[in-house]
Amino acid sequence: MHDTKKIYESTFIVSASLDDHQIDGVIEKVKDVIVKNNGEIREMVKWGRKRFTYPIKKKNNGFYVIAEFSAPGDVVAKLERHYFLDENILRYLTIMLDKKALQGRPAPSLLASEQPSTEAKPAEPVKPASAEGTVGKVDNSGVA
Amino acid sequence: MAFTPRTSQRGGSSQRASSGQIRKKRTCRFCESKDTYIDYKIEKRLQRFVSEQGRIIPKRITGTCSKHQRLLVTAIKRARHLALLPYVSDAVK
Repeated sequence: MHDTKKIYESTFIVSASLDDHQIDGVIEKVKDVIVKNNGEIREMVKWGRKRFTYPIKKKNNGFYVIAEFSAPGDVVAKLERHYFLDENILRYLTIMLDKKALQGRPAPSLLASEQPSTEAKPAEPVKPASAEGTVGKVDNSGVA
Repeated sequence: MAFTPRTSQRGGSSQRASSGQIRKKRTCRFCESKDTYIDYKIEKRLQRFVSEQGRIIPKRITGTCSKHQRLLVTAIKRARHLALLPYVSDAVK
């Protein structure tokens, strides 16, 4: 089997009703799963508590965590199995980062600092800073 | 006449009943900034391409090119999965 490591990004949502210590505990367990399976964690960023746009498991907010790691291919299944078994993890999404993604994406640590206009996107065109509550605001369109 | 030139069919023609009369002469926003990846985590950027009802706006209205529309749609769907964007927005209810 291939032992080449691929780079993955896994975002998961921890229940917001936990204390900070408990959230750290959950994150540590996730780290263990990755490391035990020959993975190497590049970044583990606590994105913070955010409000959901729709309720998940009857809750309206959650604590988002982004993990970026390199690991062989079989880790993903084990990691997602862990997410599934952990009651405190409400939702997860794991993607593989290819060359284009690695070049074009801002580092997760920038997201955590929550600075809306200073994200290091390469040559982002200047856009009007529309307010945070406006969903579906599109420039120059006739969408009803 | 069997042959109809293509230009007469685009925007402004009476054959188009829908709102396709809005012609986007501008280039794709992502092509201008030469983005190779559209991050699903930046929901503010994605909200511009989603209607008030939460639906994805077609590329003929936003002016996005096909390649970036596909990346955009993947990003929007991922964001929806993580509850960063709604599937259906409150405007509908």
